[in-house]
Amino acid sequence: MTPFLVAAGALVAIGAAVATGARDARIASLGLAGALAATPFVADPLPEPPSLAFGVIAGILAAFLVFVAARRTPDRPGPSLGLPASLGAAAACFAVGIGATAVTLPRLGPDAALAAGLAAVAVAVGPLAVTRDVLRLGSSLLVLVCGALLLLGALAGTPEPLTGMASGIVLVVLAAGVAALTGAAVVATGGTAIPDDVPAGRAPAARAGGEPR
Amino acid sequence: MSVLAFVAVATAAAALATLARDARHLGTLVGFGAVVAAFVAALFVHPDSPLRIGTGALAGSDHLRLVLTLCLAGGLLVLLVARLATWQPSAPGALLGGAAGIGLALGLTDAPAALLGAAAATIAASVLALGSPAAPSRIRALARELRGAATSLVVGLVAAGIVPAASSGGVPAEPAAAALVLVGVGLVVAHRFGAIPLHARASRLADVAPSGALPILAAWLPAAWGLVILGWAPAALGAYAPGLGLERGLIVALALLTLLLGAVAAFVQDEVEHVVAYTIVADAGIALLALAALDPGARDAARGWLLVFATTRTALIGWTIAFRAAFGTGRLRETSGWLRRAPALGVALVGILVAAVGWPGLEVWDLRLAILQSATAGPALLLAYAGSLGTGLAICRMLAVGGGRPSATVAGSAGELPRLPARREAMGAAIVAGGPASAIASEGARPLAQRLRVLAAAVGHDARPTLDLNRVPLRAFVVIMLAGLAVLVAAGAFGIDAAARETGLGALSPLVAG
Repeated sequence: MTPFLVAAGALVAIGAAVATGARDARIASLGLAGALAATPFVADPLPEPPSLAFGVIAGILAAFLVFVAARRTPDRPGPSLGLPASLGAAAACFAVGIGATAVTLPRLGPDAALAAGLAAVAVAVGPLAVTRDVLRLGSSLLVLVCGALLLLGALAGTPEPLTGMASGIVLVVLAAGVAALTGAAVVATGGTAIPDDVPAGRAPAARAGGEPR
Repeated sequence: MSVLAFVAVATAAAALATLARDARHLGTLVGFGAVVAAFVAALFVHPDSPLRIGTGALAGSDHLRLVLTLCLAGGLLVLLVARLATWQPSAPGALLGGAAGIGLALGLTDAPAALLGAAAATIAASVLALGSPAAPSRIRALARELRGAATSLVVGLVAAGIVPAASSGGVPAEPAAAALVLVGVGLVVAHRFGAIPLHARASRLADVAPSGALPILAAWLPAAWGLVILGWAPAALGAYAPGLGLERGLIVALALLTLLLGAVAAFVQDEVEHVVAYTIVADAGIALLALAALDPGARDAARGWLLVFATTRTALIGWTIAFRAAFGTGRLRETSGWLRRAPALGVALVGILVAAVGWPGLEVWDLRLAILQSATAGPALLLAYAGSLGTGLAICRMLAVGGGRPSATVAGSAGELPRLPARREAMGAAIVAGGPASAIASEGARPLAQRLRVLAAAVGHDARPTLDLNRVPLRAFVVIMLAGLAVLVAAGAFGIDAAARETGLGALSPLVAG
């Protein structure tokens, strides 16, 4: 395990903690950009240059979509876990991952990927479970998927080029979905809170113009 | 390369349909044209030379062609039914976005990549269907879908990561790891199909999603997840099957619970959309049984059965749209006696019943029985067998309600007989009063060219009123076509059996080929 791998993994962990724990949505999206763009580098051996470039660009594009959505949102309540707590959780999980050489599960990837993946999943799970804010939910989902990709790399080794491309596509599609969800929430409710869940039947059928009864 | 062409066409078509959705007439034309273009592209998917990148590949197969063509053909007919009822601007884009993702997911020969493709398809279709127009209920549903798809992806990726690492590292696999993987992918299948107790998603989705987009969201995307995971599981976990008795037993127990409770829930629902949703929930049990079997034979049967499942649910969704539009409500307690006013819908429902249940010797029956027998035996097989007929019972109940005494709602609804606008009716009355000879004589007095001009003007002038008057019979006709498609698929038409047993790169989705 090289210092470069550890540094890249630490960058992912810090970015993930900022993305899920920062109060300001724009700072959170910057943390997301750091985490997503650094993810392809946490692999040994590194992916081929085109695959690496695709992953980095996809990560930055995904974070940019969230950033654009964040700029349009009104002020929101802070995260349930603050930034210090998120950073602490990420650091703890990163340390656990780095020291997980005693795990008997055969692995083909580096420890840094396991560490960064555990950190990302750990900081994403909490907000995912409790948040009522669509933008925080979206950031958490992106961090969670990023963590899963790192865990996949830690377990199965450097992803195949097609898997790397598919990962980039999923991140961008998910970020676009988060942006659409945030925009729809602002239009429908004036804020970014997920409305209360009240089961209701389908509305009466609409009829086309001129259709007889 | 044919898959890549399809994905490109479907993606472009989805973008076009989404861009044009705010214009009612243009959006209709572009939406239907885009779906037809994607359907034509899907027809050309075949087992050709794959697109190789690294050690992975994007490859076509006969089974993939069947999945895509049935998805788009059924979706197109449902869109037509929906368009004859009301305007649903987001439905064509959602269908096309989902189909593009399904093509990607089932064409990729690497398991993690296929899972990523399935997740991308789910997210894209959900966003396109629920993102606009904005409403609180849709925001809730979209948040739920994004959360569910991402969580399923994470579990699937970790599971697919553990097993190759365990099997290719030269170290004997840890049974505990394999057990964890099986339980994890079992939960993914359960969540995607809406197995009990993860079933709330299915009925909520039926409440808020545009009905034209329901086939892709509620039937074809779960089927795609099922095809990916069921294609992967026997190859990856089959060697560990003897040591996974407890975990397989747990999945079988969950499957039986889902089959039985889902059947009961489908039987007692009042809203027709909820009946459809709970038939999907109930059939999640069959998908879970196919997973628990960890057997290539069950996998092949599931590859065929999932096509029938998705096609029959598509037809059933089309039927509910026509039903709700015909009577203005989807509540069965308000629509007793509906068969008298809508016998064509009754014929279609009988066709769907035949396609969903079948009889011994019919493809759907044999496929379902093969899955049940591969995972269960003795009393469990009996329970599974009884539960698997729940969809048929729910449909029979709807037919029984239709045979009752017509309610006020039903009595006040338009029948299915074709109608003519007032001017044509007046002319028809003249023919009846004076006899056909008088009408023909008065028409015959005019020169031919003038008569043609008058006829063209009459047709052009009356086309819109005629269409408005005949939406009910037109919807019924399209639903009968949907039911016919379902019956054909259930009977094994289009080479379903051979496609399900197809071997080769890209034929058996992920990891099997690898």
